[in-house]
Amino acid sequence: MELALLTQEEMGLARHCLDYAREQGAQQVRITLTKSLLNLVGVLNGEVDKVSHALDRSLQLQLFVNGRFGTFSSNRLEKEGLESFIREAIGTVRMLQEDSYRKLPGAQRTVKNARSGRELDLYDEAIEQLSAEERRKLALRSMAWPHKDQLENGFTLIAEEGEYSDSVFDSLTLDSQGLEARHSETSFEIGYESTVADPEGNHFSSYWWDAAPRLKDLQLEGCAARACERAAAQIGPLDIPGGTYTLIVDSECAGKLVTPLLNALGGYSLQQKNSFLSGSLGQKRFSPKLTLLDLPCTPGETGCRLFDSEGVATREMPIIQEGVVKTYFLNTYISGKMGLEPTVEDATRVKLMSTGECATQEELLKKVGDGILVTGFNGGNSNPATGNFSYGIEGFVIKNGQRVHPVREMLITGDFLSLWSHLLYAADDARLCMSKLIPTLAFADVSFSA
Amino acid sequence: MIEAKSYYFDTFQVDTPTLERLVAEALGSGGSYCDLFFENTTYGSLLLRDGAVTSGGNHVDFGVGVRVLAGEKTGYAYSESTAWPDMLACARAAAQICDKPVDVNPYGTRNPSRGEPNPHADRYPVQQSWRAVSMERHLPFLQQLEADIRSRDSRIVKVIANLAFQVSDILMYNSARELKWDTRPMGSISVSVVFQEKGRTENKSTSRSLRCGVEMLTPALAQEMAQEVVKGIDDRFAAIRPKGGQMPVVMGAGASGILLHEAMGHAFEADFNRKGTSIFHDKMGQQICPKSINILDDGTLPGNRGSVNFDDEGVPGQKTYMVEDGVLTSYLHDRISAAHYGVRPTGNGRRESFRYAPLPRMRATYMESGSAKAEDLIASVPNGLFVDEFSNGQVQIGEGDFTFYVKSGYLIENGRLTAPVKDINIIGNGPEALADIRGVADDLTIDPGAWTCGKEQSVPVSCGIPTVLIGHLTVGGE
Repeated sequence: MELALLTQEEMGLARHCLDYAREQGAQQVRITLTKSLLNLVGVLNGEVDKVSHALDRSLQLQLFVNGRFGTFSSNRLEKEGLESFIREAIGTVRMLQEDSYRKLPGAQRTVKNARSGRELDLYDEAIEQLSAEERRKLALRSMAWPHKDQLENGFTLIAEEGEYSDSVFDSLTLDSQGLEARHSETSFEIGYESTVADPEGNHFSSYWWDAAPRLKDLQLEGCAARACERAAAQIGPLDIPGGTYTLIVDSECAGKLVTPLLNALGGYSLQQKNSFLSGSLGQKRFSPKLTLLDLPCTPGETGCRLFDSEGVATREMPIIQEGVVKTYFLNTYISGKMGLEPTVEDATRVKLMSTGECATQEELLKKVGDGILVTGFNGGNSNPATGNFSYGIEGFVIKNGQRVHPVREMLITGDFLSLWSHLLYAADDARLCMSKLIPTLAFADVSFSA
Repeated sequence: MIEAKSYYFDTFQVDTPTLERLVAEALGSGGSYCDLFFENTTYGSLLLRDGAVTSGGNHVDFGVGVRVLAGEKTGYAYSESTAWPDMLACARAAAQICDKPVDVNPYGTRNPSRGEPNPHADRYPVQQSWRAVSMERHLPFLQQLEADIRSRDSRIVKVIANLAFQVSDILMYNSARELKWDTRPMGSISVSVVFQEKGRTENKSTSRSLRCGVEMLTPALAQEMAQEVVKGIDDRFAAIRPKGGQMPVVMGAGASGILLHEAMGHAFEADFNRKGTSIFHDKMGQQICPKSINILDDGTLPGNRGSVNFDDEGVPGQKTYMVEDGVLTSYLHDRISAAHYGVRPTGNGRRESFRYAPLPRMRATYMESGSAKAEDLIASVPNGLFVDEFSNGQVQIGEGDFTFYVKSGYLIENGRLTAPVKDINIIGNGPEALADIRGVADDLTIDPGAWTCGKEQSVPVSCGIPTVLIGHLTVGGE
């Protein structure tokens, strides 16, 4: 099979589709052509259990016809078939109702420096040299299963599943105002899930993973052992009474508490009056210890992008600074409807800044003293209109800065405005493999049910 | 509607000799079984927002997946083209799972309807195909739906209504020379409404999803959904967060079936049991809940979102009892796990699309009615909770811990429903909750909403349950 990178022929086809759509009556057109290649090796209990190979292509058209708008896509990239598809698509758009706010972003806002797709240094040519056999070796290299006898200490390793994968993603975004923006990246991932049993036969499971744009940065070693350790650490949970405790959230899962804030600052939620942060722009709504930045243009870092889905150039900007809401995420359409200046469609590479008192989780635990450390969420949800939330959690009771014993089948309940007003500390230990850089966090006075 | 075999051959530009040759190539490295899954799906959508249908579109997804098994190991690859060189490359990529020739039969018993679709298995007959009707004809339905909703409550400030529909042509062939074909329709409508009252905001939503054609878009359905999405909004504004802790919980009939899906269904999926990770892996044949309780997974309900004429391995859709009279009697099997356990596949081998290898997945999971009355179950609880609207759930397979998020319910005080509650999560342990069922009412309801299960891949499912009393669950609260 050919490498997943877009070929000149495919990009030429995308340009042809843009011209063809205009010929057929579309006043404005945006086209996004994507191609990706994924190779995956799965292992189960010390042996290769699964291999898979996936090559995807898709051409998405956004058509603006006589004040009307529609979105269409196909993975059948033959010229004649696409021309027929475009004709039908334009016919479909014509029968929709008018919406004067639908238009392309102003050309001055779109990205100018994403020509090769490699500007952010997210493409690792090492992927082109990897053989099937090397992928198998990478998947098998960090398994804990072959050494289970040495690991097992008061527990039995029941099952160990893992996956190694690498992928190439390539995209080209064009519009009828002359935009040509390309983004290419590679990604290498390793992940393991371990299930252990205590002497009574009770099962406990956990996972660990890592990802990086470059193979050399992938933390393979110890991945499965860490999953096993995390599972074993849950053995022997004790019940504790419900009540109000200091909540500490591990950096592995702290992003769960940030995502609802970003969603609430999204244009669609705000315009539909379905956001607990309506009317918050420029307002102080959170603890002054909360500063959240978007850093989308950092070369080499996971998740960075020079442009959003409209082709609008991204830039470094504060989202929340010292508790004050500094931006909404408004695309061209929503900004028009709301009568506000457009920004970008969404946050890209969010970083929650350390409060400065502690760098590591251990230091943070010492600062806190007593509380409950959450190492994983088990379900739950939040109400976007009110900010109320309720999540299942698992983790550990903390006394004098030390883990005392595991807890499970507990719930935290509250609302996000109150929670983030009670931010005590943010460490500086965010995981670089995540698109959101959120460190270990501590919050005062959180309701736990047990 | 199911077409003639030639329609599918024409759609995918293949014939029987080509399929045989591709399977032979895929098994050339020594695999023990191979199947091919061809898919041509067309999607359509229309979105009403701010009083007008101003967004819509069509999407096409086409391709073929090739799976090679070497015992219980899986090689998988797919192509978005059915040109011979592309399919051949896929077959060779999938064959990489074979590091040495193997000689085992992994798929157990042969399908009794080998070679042809079961003529009785048209579980989603269509009067009018989504493909045959211009999208323009659907606009009045959305507009009527919005008008019906807005006419019912002056506090409504926003209505979003979305219509999504799809039709999938499927052709399956395997190394046992079984050839199956199917056309699967799906129509889904979701509505989200925002209300404001005295500066406070609340939202409500509802959905319908059926395997049927355009005929589902009736004025009666619009009125039914409008009534449903507005109903209970006064209670939503008045709702409180209850005091958290362990308490008896009465699960209302219908959407409470999420309890079965999360707490039991996933743990009954045979892949988790084959690997020893499920908490039920050593409980086959054991009493796991009170006698008289029957829990099943059903792919045969007419027009149901989870129904299948054939699963995605070509095994006929069927009704599978997992728990009979309180005894665990069957897991949910794909061909791999069926061979592992030496049983017949149960028609649960499902996948999101040709991009994914099939896994054991649920279809419509529900509990059969009992003999109690719902009002008696509520009356038997001195202090507890009644829940009836949910958004999502999750389970930890190894531990059996499950959660589900409650959008609305009521406190039970002295056997009566009192204060409304909202936005709480409930957590429990699957085996413990099963064993702690205190009563089952006679009012089984299958929820018609757009439930989607996200185990590695997204597949449409549904769930149902009669009103059930569980002795103790942990409720999140203040």
